[in-house]
Amino acid sequence: MLRRLRTLAQSSMSRYIVRRLLYMIPVVLGISIIAFITMYAAGDPISLIKMGKPNIDATTLNALKAYYGLDKPIPIQYLKWLTNILQLNFGKSLYGGGSVNSLIGPEIWPTIELQVISLIIAFAISIPIAVLSARKPYSKQDLTVTSFSLFGVSMPTFWFGLILIIVFSFSLGWLPSAGAKGAAGFLWWGNPALDVIAHFILPVIVLVYVSLAQNIRLIRANMLEVLRSDYILAARASGISDRKVVYRYALRNAITPAVTFLALALGSMLAGAPMTEYVFSWPGLGRQYVSSTLGLDFPTIMAITMLITVMTLIANLIMDILYVYIDPRVRIR
Amino acid sequence: MNTENNKSNSVVKRRSASQWAVAWRRFRRNKAGVFGLIVVLAVVFIGIFGDFIAPYPAFPNPQALAPFYNGNVRTPPNSHYLLGTDVLGTDVLSDILHGTKYALYVGVVVTLITMAIAIAVGAISGYFGGAVDNVLMRVTEVFLVFPSLLFILIFVRVLTLGAGVGTAINFLGITIPTGLTIVILVLAIFNWPGDARMIRGEFLRVRELEFVEAEKALGASNKRIIFRHILPNILSSIIVVASLTIAYAILLEAGVSFLGFGDVNTMTWGQILENNFANMRVVWWAELFPGLAILITVFAFNLLGDGLSDALNPRLRD
Repeated sequence: MLRRLRTLAQSSMSRYIVRRLLYMIPVVLGISIIAFITMYAAGDPISLIKMGKPNIDATTLNALKAYYGLDKPIPIQYLKWLTNILQLNFGKSLYGGGSVNSLIGPEIWPTIELQVISLIIAFAISIPIAVLSARKPYSKQDLTVTSFSLFGVSMPTFWFGLILIIVFSFSLGWLPSAGAKGAAGFLWWGNPALDVIAHFILPVIVLVYVSLAQNIRLIRANMLEVLRSDYILAARASGISDRKVVYRYALRNAITPAVTFLALALGSMLAGAPMTEYVFSWPGLGRQYVSSTLGLDFPTIMAITMLITVMTLIANLIMDILYVYIDPRVRIR
Repeated sequence: MNTENNKSNSVVKRRSASQWAVAWRRFRRNKAGVFGLIVVLAVVFIGIFGDFIAPYPAFPNPQALAPFYNGNVRTPPNSHYLLGTDVLGTDVLSDILHGTKYALYVGVVVTLITMAIAIAVGAISGYFGGAVDNVLMRVTEVFLVFPSLLFILIFVRVLTLGAGVGTAINFLGITIPTGLTIVILVLAIFNWPGDARMIRGEFLRVRELEFVEAEKALGASNKRIIFRHILPNILSSIIVVASLTIAYAILLEAGVSFLGFGDVNTMTWGQILENNFANMRVVWWAELFPGLAILITVFAFNLLGDGLSDALNPRLRD
């Protein structure tokens, strides 16, 4: 009875999603605890301020500590932070006196925009290239593709960005070198919409190239394995055209594992956001993260870490759901 | 040790030698892999002798600033300064040559620590299974969705606060920079779970093979089975992963330094890039060449890894 109930519940997609969302809770909590302990193990931020300004007096210090709630023991601080965060209140930034929400709020969308656009372009380009390369393994075109992608995984992301800026912005003057928008007085290509596109081009090229390289390596390897399998041999033996065998029968099985990888790629791209955004002065979470961590702005660091973790987990969930639809052999357990 | 044992030892040795010889023959035919190996050897050579080849000494030595005192700050590449001079007035070529040893230090030490943890955890988890295995799998799953770069940055920032970044440890006459070592430890801590998962998979695979069962039937201890029988069988996979880990660690350290979290007194390649970033419109050569050094080194280790993978696991090849 119980067993039947359970299978009934498990066969439903919405129950699966709810269960996955519940499973995220311990992961998010665990990551938040690790982040919290790491930072506060370094000492409280106010005492660190004191290192920079030695002649600050004790009463001011204590008042500051009380203002930021740092006079309480760490477990209490953590619980307080947790209850605030559940109401989407990330606390006060240690710099500039504003709230963390007002600081990072405008930076969430630029990061998502950049990452999602790059990921879609990368995935769309990588499939045909990988298939082309896997159809004739160890041929000239395959060697070109594999060395190109190996080059991509060997290159420091940020350095590729630097070179693009030096060539296309500084030398040729074709594209902007920093930011997401032109200043009020000067628009690239004379029009606000084109201006936004101009600012996207270089960062997107960097992100696409890096994830393209990883995608191609993975899909090519899958494709090679699938093309060796018996059912492909059977399809070929029954006289189905090569094109149809490759694109209809093999491709589907070769890209399903890549979908899981897509989720991981999004996660690593989000976590890698500091590099690209720092190079292009992109007004996003990644660049903010770098300056906040260097400045030890603990509440902001916590907020961005949590946001990126949650975004990664949600991306994973979406990919897992897609996976069930793409690959009917995968059953929800 | 009795004679019978010696005899069986020598038999094992001869067979394994031929196995490696076969792999070497296969590796030699792979041009890309051989090219990678040659470049890696060249990089190691520069790592060891770079301090003697470089035209100017390394940074803490006042002579490093000789171009600066001669009024040659931000000089484009010319016959005197082959790769130009940077914003501080040091010779970029010398900086790159001195930085090679740090890149290798990062790559090798991160890989040694990562592999030591990964092999220990992977072996226990893959061989014994059970609760340990369950916990490990959960932990590595969390690490897969973990924003590890973010945590690496916090850890490095917090740990280098108190440790005195500029200091160095003197070990057997070799100066080891503290800040860089902290970066290395942090990178290793966040790098092992993926490798442990891979090694666990290999242990699971080999554990089920018949010769392990035979060994068990003969009454061999777990320790003996793990170290004498399973480990040598998965050594090829470990070597491949290790060479790829070296490449990955070098890249990651360059990124951490470039973002401004590195050891400011140790001129790693990433640090040169960071120092000249704000002025890169002028000193493009100080951004181009250190990055090329990273690219060539990492590319060579990746080529070597792929070549080794083809040579040691021929089943994966078509």
